[in-house]
Amino acid sequence: MSNFTDKIKQISPAEKKMLKNMFKASFVMEHSYNYERQQGLGFSLGMWPAIREIYDNKEDQGDALERHLAVFNATPHIETLIMGIAAAMEKEASINPDFDKGSINAVKVALMGPLSGIGDSIFWGSLRVVAAGIGLSLCQAGNPLGALVFLLVYNIPHLIIKYCCTFAGYAFGTDLMGNIQGSGVLDKITKAATIVGLMVIGAMTASMVALSLTGTFTVSGNEFVIQDYIDQMFPMLLPLLYTLLMFYLLQVKKMKATTLLLLSIVISFVLVVCGLI
Amino acid sequence: MVFRPLVVGTLVGIALGDPVMGAKCGAALEVVFMGAIQIGAAVPPDAMLGAGIGTALAIITGKGPEVAFTLGFPIAVFGQSIKIVCFIVRSWYMGLACKYAREVQVGKMHALNWFGLILQCTIYGLVGFCTIYFGSSVVENVLNNIPEVVMKSLEVAGGLLPAVGFALLLQPMMTSKNSLYFFLGFIMVAFASQSVLAVTAFGVVVAFIVVFEIGHGKSNDMSDEVEDKELEALFDE
Repeated sequence: MSNFTDKIKQISPAEKKMLKNMFKASFVMEHSYNYERQQGLGFSLGMWPAIREIYDNKEDQGDALERHLAVFNATPHIETLIMGIAAAMEKEASINPDFDKGSINAVKVALMGPLSGIGDSIFWGSLRVVAAGIGLSLCQAGNPLGALVFLLVYNIPHLIIKYCCTFAGYAFGTDLMGNIQGSGVLDKITKAATIVGLMVIGAMTASMVALSLTGTFTVSGNEFVIQDYIDQMFPMLLPLLYTLLMFYLLQVKKMKATTLLLLSIVISFVLVVCGLI
Repeated sequence: MVFRPLVVGTLVGIALGDPVMGAKCGAALEVVFMGAIQIGAAVPPDAMLGAGIGTALAIITGKGPEVAFTLGFPIAVFGQSIKIVCFIVRSWYMGLACKYAREVQVGKMHALNWFGLILQCTIYGLVGFCTIYFGSSVVENVLNNIPEVVMKSLEVAGGLLPAVGFALLLQPMMTSKNSLYFFLGFIMVAFASQSVLAVTAFGVVVAFIVVFEIGHGKSNDMSDEVEDKELEALFDE
């Protein structure tokens, strides 16, 4: 890890300032959480200090801002790790004309799944429960300071870790970029990141998209649940088909995401009214 | 964490002049809502609304922490649907956010972002105000009279909307060849019941095999050597 620790020491004062600003900007991550892009808007705003520093002209900046509006969802406490890595990759992209900018989002997608898994269990799971336990014992006795204790026990480690993650992510990303000599290995990393990214999206489609025709129909006095029959053939078939349908409408039919959102709501309504759900 | 019952209950208690009771109610509700956290896109009954309203009503009616939950829970469930509506409404201005991004109007992007939060707070505030003002029984009646169809549709829509987000993500990455990996990840969860974490770990291994192993037989020795050296440099300790 000697390269890595070296890279942290090598971060220039200008870069340090950029990373500190990114840390501060990262707190608005969840303000506009929505179903279309999840934390996308927050992430892009968090990246702005880096984008402003790395790119000079408005076109590149706008490009980068829009790039980082892509769907993103990770535990807010460790998001700065991914932001740091993305910043290092953007820096490489600005210097190296052969750099495939698509790899940045591929790496983000590949990372957000596993980091969220770890982050959620550490922060939402362990740390929160420990802090709540301490605060609870005070509050149950009627002492309002328990709430303050809860907030302190939780947020002090949280803020320290989040701050360090920004720098760690950037150092790791710079290290990674620095070791890549020819564009050959870069292509391979991009391809690898795309593979992992696609697999993770496939996995998330199965676990987070929910479409279950729980409606029942009666035949000669016996009640049948429609979804049971679909499940016997192919579990999660409907979420898969629906996601692929959305993809087709976006990619081939060039429909806008907002239209698809409204379409989804209308379809939900129709399904419920028809008794299919 | 300021939105958790421990803090909300205490703050409501301070606002109503009884911090001790507020803390007790907050503690009781925190225990109940301990498991109610949002993982990924799955929204649970809203702990903040439930705790705020429950504590307020418990203190106003003078009944104590035991009733805080009974009074607060129906509102928490309602809060769940409100949150989903909020998420849907916020989705509508994402197109505008894209436009601002392209034009590098970061101030306006920030404004949109904060609007999302203010929207949620305003709705919560309204619900809170109405409940305390009209009393919980009136509000419960209103909630019970919302057609089941509407609530159910929102729930179903909440399950479908992530698909739009994923489709957006797939756009730059998915080609007819690459779709192989999408299906692989999907199959692992749907048929083999693996977690997303397991799929990622597996994905990393598959990616390595596909990218670094399979290509080697075909490429010539020179580029092989160069790539091997670069690969080793990547892992140099």
